[in-house]
Amino acid sequence: MIGRDELARRQAALVAALVAGAPTPAGFDETRVRASASALLRKRAGEVAAVWPVLSSSYSPQWNSVFTAWAAGRPPLGALRDGWDFARSAVGGTGVVGAAAEEVAEREVRWRYDGRTAPRRRRLPAARRVPGGLLVQAFGRLFRIDRHP
Amino acid sequence: MSRGTTGEARNDAPRGGAGEARSDAARSDAARSDAARSGASRSGADDATSRYGVAIGWRREISGFVADLPGLRFTEVVAESLPGRAGDLPAQLAALCDRGVAVVPHGVRLSLGGAEPVDPARVKHLADCAVRLSSPLVSEHIAFVRAGGTEAGHLLPVPRSASAVEAIVDNVRRTQAELPVPIALEPIATLLDWPDDELDEADFLTEILDRTGALLLLDVANIYANARNRGGDPLDLLDRLPLERVAYVHVAGGAEHSGLYHDTHTDAVPADVLDLVTALCERRVPPALMLERDGDYPAAQTLRNELDAIADAAGLPRITA
Repeated sequence: MIGRDELARRQAALVAALVAGAPTPAGFDETRVRASASALLRKRAGEVAAVWPVLSSSYSPQWNSVFTAWAAGRPPLGALRDGWDFARSAVGGTGVVGAAAEEVAEREVRWRYDGRTAPRRRRLPAARRVPGGLLVQAFGRLFRIDRHP
Repeated sequence: MSRGTTGEARNDAPRGGAGEARSDAARSDAARSDAARSGASRSGADDATSRYGVAIGWRREISGFVADLPGLRFTEVVAESLPGRAGDLPAQLAALCDRGVAVVPHGVRLSLGGAEPVDPARVKHLADCAVRLSSPLVSEHIAFVRAGGTEAGHLLPVPRSASAVEAIVDNVRRTQAELPVPIALEPIATLLDWPDDELDEADFLTEILDRTGALLLLDVANIYANARNRGGDPLDLLDRLPLERVAYVHVAGGAEHSGLYHDTHTDAVPADVLDLVTALCERRVPPALMLERDGDYPAAQTLRNELDAIADAAGLPRITA
């Protein structure tokens, strides 16, 4: 019979195999673990799409494959952070144009996100470039300044 | 305790109250008498009525659809989707409470099956939801969702071992101590089995329920998925479960992918699962029979048709008209 500490260790090993790219723990069916890991990534791609609808649809119909390829081996941090990290990554960055860039910029000016801890609402004004101009957040309101009014 | 613009919150007087010392036996007895009140212990063969009937889970994306169902008397909301005490309940959900619809908060992140003790803050949130919604009960899963500081992002199976039973019984008791109403536990669908499973599923569930006095949230789609992926007969498990402890039932859709059946909650309910609903209701009619749909929402008429199919399979009144 395995004790509580051993249970904790084995649960951690299973989670690591499913979301962090660790090897399948001894005794588990490799095919089933891989199938579960893929299902988790698919579910995660859907959850991120719900929180980042413009970003995800800008990759349509490849969103699922592009996101899961980036996310594989990275433990989930929740849909907001996952989508944000993806958008800021090299893979995501080159694809983020147009309306998707505006969706990201709007989050960037409203929230402070250092990539390591949970995003926090900004108290001070912030600005980000968007296609065709500048997006400014001040006192919780958004203002758009167009380059060619 | 605010509820937006709908005025004062109602809540039933908490049974026992948080923090009051209660013996395990007293808790079990109380849970069983609550089960009796909620109709979970009526004998099935003579009594084909269901206290709450056919229902659907509450989701923001279909809140209008849910509000418009004429026969709705029960729904369930993911506890983690509700704000803490300082935030307002979604207005549409509060309106259902005010209408007298039973609303059950369903936890998905407490990780009761984890080796670590359940986070008191998560337990408190679940309890707060039950009070704000005047819920008759709460529910969670026989599963874990995090380990070693890493989130899995989904419900994972626990080994059917003595130590896992200890861990989950411990966490369920910690949770029950803070709840004003009973808790129902849901066994999950899984593609994975642990190499050190000692007990079969029926014995494992029954032991957990016996030792905690908790109710059973029976998900027929999960039973179907597990039986299909393990190559077994879902009726074998159904016949060994304590159906008198069923607080309510989940029904959901899924899809096959690379030879395995996935309980997605984003597909139509297959005919085989509807057959299982019929088989269940032939044995014992549950207090509520709830469709779970989590995404990829179809047209309203499609959802209505699905609710009607569930009602017809169960021999219960349709709630769509």
